[in-house]
Amino acid sequence: MKHSRRDFLVKSTTALTMTALATQAEHFGLMTAFAQKSRQKTDPGAGSDYRALVCIYLSGGNDANNMIVPNHSDANVSNYAAYSAARAPQGLALAQNVLLPISVPRIGNLSYGLHPGFGTITGGTNNGIHELWAQGKLAGVTNVGTLVQPLTRQQYLNNSAPRPMQLFSHTDQTQQHLTCRADGVSLTGWGGRISDKITNSANPQRLIPTTSTIGGPLLFNVGENTQPVSVGPAPTPLSSVLSLVGFNNTPISNARFAALNEALSFETQQELVAASSEYHRAAIDISTALNNTADVTVTFPNTELGNQLKQIARLIKNRDVLNMKRQIFFCTLDGFDSHTSQPGTHNILFGRLSQAMRSFYEEMLVQGLSDKVTQFTLSDFNRTFNPSGVGASVGTDHAWSSHSLILGGSVIGGDFYGVNTSNGTPFTTLVMNGPDDSDSGSGARGRWIPTTAVEQYAATLAKWFGLETADMNYVFPNLPNFTQTDLGFMMP
Amino acid sequence: MKKIIRLAIFSILLLSFCFSIFAQDDLNPESPVPVLLNDADKTRVLAVSSNRWAGELPTTGQTVFKPGFKTVITIFATNFDFSEGESVNSVRVYLKQRSGKVYQLPVEDLVRIDKKNYALKVRLFESPNLRTQPGADGDSLIYLTWRGLSSNVLKIGLGSTGGDLKIPAEFRATPENTNDFAGYRWSGDRIRFLEQAGFGPNTELDNRIRRVGLRIWLNEQFETPYPYYPYPNIPLMQTTPPANCDATTFPACYRERYTQLPLQQWFFKEAMYGNTQLRHRVSWALSQILVTSGITIQQSSHMIAYHKVISDNAFGNYRNLLKQMTLNPAMGSYLDMVRSTKTNPNENYPREILQLFSIGLFKLNQDGTVQTDGQGNPVPTYTQENINNFSKVFTGWTFCETTVVCPNRTQGATNYKDPMLINPLNHDLTEKTLLSYPNAVNTTIPACQNCTTNEAIAAYANDSLDKAIENIFNHPNVAPFIGKLLIQHLVTSDPSPAYVARVSAAFNNNGSNVRGDMKAVIRAILLDPEARGNVKTAPRYGKLREPVQLITNLTRIFPAKSFNGEDLSDGSLGNYTKRLGQNPFYSDTVFNYFPPTYIVPGTTILAPEFGLLNTGTAINRTNLLYLLIFEGLTPTATDSLKGTSLDFSEMIPYAENDPDGNQLLDVLNYKMMHGAMTAEHKNSILTAVLAVPASNPLLRVKTAVYLIAASSQYQVQR
Repeated sequence: MKHSRRDFLVKSTTALTMTALATQAEHFGLMTAFAQKSRQKTDPGAGSDYRALVCIYLSGGNDANNMIVPNHSDANVSNYAAYSAARAPQGLALAQNVLLPISVPRIGNLSYGLHPGFGTITGGTNNGIHELWAQGKLAGVTNVGTLVQPLTRQQYLNNSAPRPMQLFSHTDQTQQHLTCRADGVSLTGWGGRISDKITNSANPQRLIPTTSTIGGPLLFNVGENTQPVSVGPAPTPLSSVLSLVGFNNTPISNARFAALNEALSFETQQELVAASSEYHRAAIDISTALNNTADVTVTFPNTELGNQLKQIARLIKNRDVLNMKRQIFFCTLDGFDSHTSQPGTHNILFGRLSQAMRSFYEEMLVQGLSDKVTQFTLSDFNRTFNPSGVGASVGTDHAWSSHSLILGGSVIGGDFYGVNTSNGTPFTTLVMNGPDDSDSGSGARGRWIPTTAVEQYAATLAKWFGLETADMNYVFPNLPNFTQTDLGFMMP
Repeated sequence: MKKIIRLAIFSILLLSFCFSIFAQDDLNPESPVPVLLNDADKTRVLAVSSNRWAGELPTTGQTVFKPGFKTVITIFATNFDFSEGESVNSVRVYLKQRSGKVYQLPVEDLVRIDKKNYALKVRLFESPNLRTQPGADGDSLIYLTWRGLSSNVLKIGLGSTGGDLKIPAEFRATPENTNDFAGYRWSGDRIRFLEQAGFGPNTELDNRIRRVGLRIWLNEQFETPYPYYPYPNIPLMQTTPPANCDATTFPACYRERYTQLPLQQWFFKEAMYGNTQLRHRVSWALSQILVTSGITIQQSSHMIAYHKVISDNAFGNYRNLLKQMTLNPAMGSYLDMVRSTKTNPNENYPREILQLFSIGLFKLNQDGTVQTDGQGNPVPTYTQENINNFSKVFTGWTFCETTVVCPNRTQGATNYKDPMLINPLNHDLTEKTLLSYPNAVNTTIPACQNCTTNEAIAAYANDSLDKAIENIFNHPNVAPFIGKLLIQHLVTSDPSPAYVARVSAAFNNNGSNVRGDMKAVIRAILLDPEARGNVKTAPRYGKLREPVQLITNLTRIFPAKSFNGEDLSDGSLGNYTKRLGQNPFYSDTVFNYFPPTYIVPGTTILAPEFGLLNTGTAINRTNLLYLLIFEGLTPTATDSLKGTSLDFSEMIPYAENDPDGNQLLDVLNYKMMHGAMTAEHKNSILTAVLAVPASNPLLRVKTAVYLIAASSQYQVQR
């Protein structure tokens, strides 16, 4: 039984009573609360075959050049000295002795370093995620970004091959990361399109949608037939995050509730009215499904991201009640648009990122799901390697190719992944006006050209998640433009 | 001969227009309802393949068409009343398929074929960058919209005929006739106008407009001193709060000076009680286009200085707004221009002044549609090279800390009140290449020739800044870009290109050869036939009320009081609208609370305010309405001293006098929904109202107001 969300609009042209509402088949990709009660046979195997993807969006454009830094002296690939020469004069280079070392087998076990925010920090609730690199749970995809097809520097500079639309613009580059369409505007995201293909088998009851957005834009989780649920972050309990106030089961109250519901079916030919009504109706239905939900055990940091990941962990903990075998989550950490005062900002943001990711990972261990749930990061873009400003106000401007982090028990961690750059390794050549720079001439500032496309990174995650090969091109239409469709950082 | 007749008609119109001013009356705001012509089968559209069309009205048409980029069909319509210059871009054609999906079909030509009938050339394909197109799905529905009005709906066969699609009787059920109550002309349009030109209608304003008409009211508003409540007078403070204003020991002082609370309170009071509604509303719209945020801007005094720049120029010239905003210290700090130097030019402000404040990313036609190249790709307005050059122009400005020229300078505090000042040592002296466009102004700024003294450099820098602003301001994109954004904020999310073009024309020339006159732009937006009329029926017409408007509309219709009802509200509403995604003056980013290009997920509907709507905020909206209407918003120990409640006393008699509830519903229909509530909606609410005993008229009023306010029919301002 496959219905699009818009089916609902066509069917509901007549006024519906409360009873009629109950027989309304599906909308928002979910069953009504009434319909589901008649089929409360929970699949006992639901828990054993479970996987979830958790996208952590670093909003504003993360300066990944200071997230993963060369920590070695090998001059054949960009070394610490090359990094420091470009950033130390303005006060943006991290001192080598504060870098948290990580060994990279792919580059001859050379040492790189994570920003110190990924280790133990003052006031932290855990040790951070740096130590998970050595444990093989944390990996990096390097020099990854938006591409339409593989693009050499020569092709970029003489404009002889398609470039992503509107490079360096927040809104456009964000959309392209969320949609995996660098060649134009897409109205669906890759999380939502994965859901389109797997919901029938992985979430047949549709008590809640397959995709959930806890913070940030909905686009990632919207498909042709998928609408995400939005629930606010902790500390609000799941049971009250979508509940209406002011109803107490008296006749007056019940009459008011009936009228509130009835209006959702009026004037549905008016498209703006109908679109608004759908959110209200879905929220009321989903709140029923979230009525009795268990809480998590691990302590999460009381931060924007910590509270979002905590709410996600609660939804995962209730996967059996909700009868879901696959879930996709989206949450956001704001504040990465560091045109100025970057060092202080980065210390805070990386600390929050690392602490929240670690708590979430620990909670998954407690739930016995550490190898079934994978966290990964995306951001608008990297920032210019050449800083803007000096001293305390030093910052960076908008750039392109970046690095991402992936964490989970099924990650083949402790290494870099991605297509090799000009230097024969997956790590960027950190030279302005050099072979990886899209800028040229004396004013070049280091806006790296990606060698790995976002869809190669995303397809690797989608394959692990269980997306069939036959469905890959539906989810990632530009994937056939690239040779390597599995970057190899996930266990089979 | 025809010309003479037209001239005569025009003169009569002009005369009657002049008289109407003297007579303090307005033209009939209603436009005729367009009619799509049907084939011999009355349910089917009259349509032929365009390459077979002979140029006349055919007697019968073709039934089945193959959807696709290459299929161009001609359909026929009548009952338009086009004004001069109004043409193909005023009409939109939509196709709705069995899947429920709606496609907007490109209209390529509009030809008048006889006295009253028109032919429309339509491609059976949706705009290519949306990546969707209608399928060969059997019978589909086709209709057109013009000036916010929907035509009749007819069938068209795609691939084949058949399927179970039913034609809806009307796209919008006939509104309940409230003339008995309203009794005077265009009452619905007056309420609609007050929702667009202010923060909501109230009885006083409604009466005023009824008396003087729209044009005179606009002129009155242009001249009314602003603000009604003075801006809070808050001193500049040092960056680190002093001991006597510490957040924990002296929280009241801290909130007043180091948060945006006083600005928010002032803003809401001005919106609820102020008599300068238009300037306040346009300023609110402009503050969502030229955005700064309390997330970065530390002190209320800083943001107030920024808001003054906006409101000072809201009825002035857009060029001056751009210039003064460029030199505003809060903006300078927010987008980093204040730290940009010739050795380290910062790209943030140069990028956003182009992308967000003036021309946007893509070249536009004057009607706001995007220009495309041979491959159908949008044409960018600027390159990274342009950004680099503008970055050089904007180097060297810093906070005004010279005693002589900075009157508001305060010892120990950064001066966010006076415009930024050039520091000659930090300004770039090389040549700059600016935007190039037809008849471009100042495409290059030459390198500085005699920059041997600080005075010479300062003069060069200030001159360069003026040249750069002129260069941006005169770009042809500014009129459609800013015009469309203002239409979206005031009237409707997806205006027809013709509407945008009319507003662009007013921006480009106010009638006296002045470009950028905001009064002309505002008049054009609010008096346009697509804005005016008692009821709009086009399915995508209007806009979702943003959280601030959702609340202020109610607090104006049912006058806001303090929580205990004995005083006025203290305006502490930001913490409540925050739950709905809109904390005034605390936008998450420079991209505002919601992006102007937001498409409702799962649809192709352009509707910016929906960027704030999801399942979570939908519930929060309903819950906040419950609190406000039934319980009132309680004062808190911290930021709210008086709280807010609604005064329903004006409504009580209607509930008391008529135990059947009809009078109450009629008056609420008029005040809240400009008379456009459908009969089924009214009956549904009436059932719930009658469940409340007649002996409790206040609870009846609250029940009815809550059910209307919580309905999507109300939450979409149409």
